Amino acid sequence: MVTVLLPKIGPVMPEVILSVTGLEKSYDKVIAVAGLDFDIAKGECFGLLGPNGAGKSTTLAMLEGMEDPTRGTVQYYGGPLPSDYQTRVGIQFQATALQDFLTPFDNLKLFSSFYDDPIPMDHLIDQFRLQEFLHRDSRRLSGGQRQRLLLALALVHNPEIVFLDEPTTGLDPRSRRDLWDVVSALKADGRTLILTTHYMEEAEILCDELVILSHGKALLQGPPKQLIADAGVSDLDTLFLSLTGETLVKTQEVMK
Amino acid sequence: MISIMRSVRRMRAVFFARNLEYLRDRASFGWNLVFPVLIVFALAVVFSGPPRPLFTVTAVASDSLPELLEFPGIEIISADRSKALDRLSRQQTDLVVEVVEDSVRYWVNGNSASGAILELLLKYTESRSLERGETDGEAIRYVDWVVPGILGMNMMYSALWGVGYVVVRYRQAGYLRRLRATPLTKFEFLSAQVLSRLLVTLTASTIVFVGTNLILDYKMVGSLGLLFIIALVGGLAMITLGLAIACRTESKEFADGLLNAITFPMLLLSDVWFSLDGSPYWVQMIAQVLPLTHVLEAARAVMLDDAGVTDIAIHLAILVGFCTVGMGLSIKLFKW
Ligand SMILES: Nc1ncnc2c1ncn2[C@@H]1O[C@H](COP(=O)(O)OP(=O)(O)OP(=O)(O)O)[C@@H](O)[C@H]1O
Ligand SMILES: [Mg+2]
Repeated sequence: MVTVLLPKIGPVMPEVILSVTGLEKSYDKVIAVAGLDFDIAKGECFGLLGPNGAGKSTTLAMLEGMEDPTRGTVQYYGGPLPSDYQTRVGIQFQATALQDFLTPFDNLKLFSSFYDDPIPMDHLIDQFRLQEFLHRDSRRLSGGQRQRLLLALALVHNPEIVFLDEPTTGLDPRSRRDLWDVVSALKADGRTLILTTHYMEEAEILCDELVILSHGKALLQGPPKQLIADAGVSDLDTLFLSLTGETLVKTQEVMK
Repeated sequence: MISIMRSVRRMRAVFFARNLEYLRDRASFGWNLVFPVLIVFALAVVFSGPPRPLFTVTAVASDSLPELLEFPGIEIISADRSKALDRLSRQQTDLVVEVVEDSVRYWVNGNSASGAILELLLKYTESRSLERGETDGEAIRYVDWVVPGILGMNMMYSALWGVGYVVVRYRQAGYLRRLRATPLTKFEFLSAQVLSRLLVTLTASTIVFVGTNLILDYKMVGSLGLLFIIALVGGLAMITLGLAIACRTESKEFADGLLNAITFPMLLLSDVWFSLDGSPYWVQMIAQVLPLTHVLEAARAVMLDDAGVTDIAIHLAILVGFCTVGMGLSIKLFKW
């Protein structure tokens, strides 16, 4: 595959950290991702929005270096993913198990020791408010507590890029807002964030750039405000409905 | 150099995490200690009477067996001479016969009454010339025989399930995928699992060994150090076998099935409960490819006959072979 690098035009182009060309992934007969092209700028919050099975997690997996694309490339600063890519990215998977019987404290200790220069545990415990359940069996944590722990584990090594796969699914409104604060804080640190969500409102609030996925293809991409304006609709929900004839999430499900 | 230290640091962390997980799982931890003790005591009670009432004669590869052996009530076992004489000195057999051309050589244990009776009968019924040999040695109780078997069996279960099943559980739950997203390498992860489980099996075996010995005072005439080496190498062999099974399996149920398929023949054929010396050749051949067989043969040789390193070197070598193949396959085939 030959990629032609065109000089970017316009005022101060932000630096591209990840760039995706012709990205495809198929499993036996399922085409999970059917050709995506986009660039992710350093320091932005990039969102993948779409219904169940749209290919969000699969796309993330290829960006994370966890899966090889069937076709197409993922480039990091214009080159292949470096061998220490794992230490530059922090990943919160959609579903992760931890070891039975270990507490958040044990887990933090374990994951910290995988890296050379981890963030001091106390900072993480404070930032993610883990103190209250620090010594509880991780299996006994509530959904929101667990999410905070997993996020802390994804960040122990102070990664440059943070992947969050549906970080707010199943959280109550308060925890969801907490997570939004965390995302803002991570962005303020200059990290690049890549997240998936089914929630329009969330995408609209958090993301600088959005790809709307359906059946492995990008229906639209651009800054959320601009997508709404261009389509002349009132919100993303209406936009999505007009694109696919499907509603993304039932209104009741959307947090208020 | 730095990368080795890094590796060691990560391995240590995974090792400790796995130990914690195991230690805090009090139910299975306790069971690992209590179960073998229960079995040892149950057997000690059930088999506390005299052993089987039959005469047992061991024939050393001969065609024209003495007429005596055609009497009903005599169990005939064939074995090579050194094995046969070992059995005789433990009074697991009452008489050993070997027909050489036109004469019959036989051995009895000077301490055995059954041996003396059989000797009389043999003299009375045999027309060929007789040549006498004698061994001595105390009869071993069943518990002396079975304790190594139970320790070995417990070790086998703990080793195979403790890594085989657990690694598949990690995979099925998505934990391995989470670990893959860190700089932890396959080798570090696998070694940590092996070491943690080795520590567990050795500790549990030691506790059970000491505990049952205090109460039952079974026979242990050989070197404790050598016995420990057997446990170490044997435990490692079975742990790596469990790991090899786990390296790609994605379902816990299937892993369970595979593990059962491996433990079942060992339970039957590796002399855990009874000696299979008298069984057909092919059965003994199958037994030879099972690690537990070598663990038990070596352990019994040390515990009952005070065998030295050279006597059991072949078993140790085979077990080391199992370890090498098991670990090699695991590292090569392992998928997160
Ligand atoms: N390992 C796999 N083998 C076969 N099919 C797969 C595999 N992984 C994903 N798929 C399929 O690929 C498609 C996209 O899956 P993916 O998990 O990326 O969706 P998603 O957008 O993350 O959905 P959700 O919102 O439910 O998490 C689905 O149809 C899924 O069934
Ligand atoms: Mg998903």
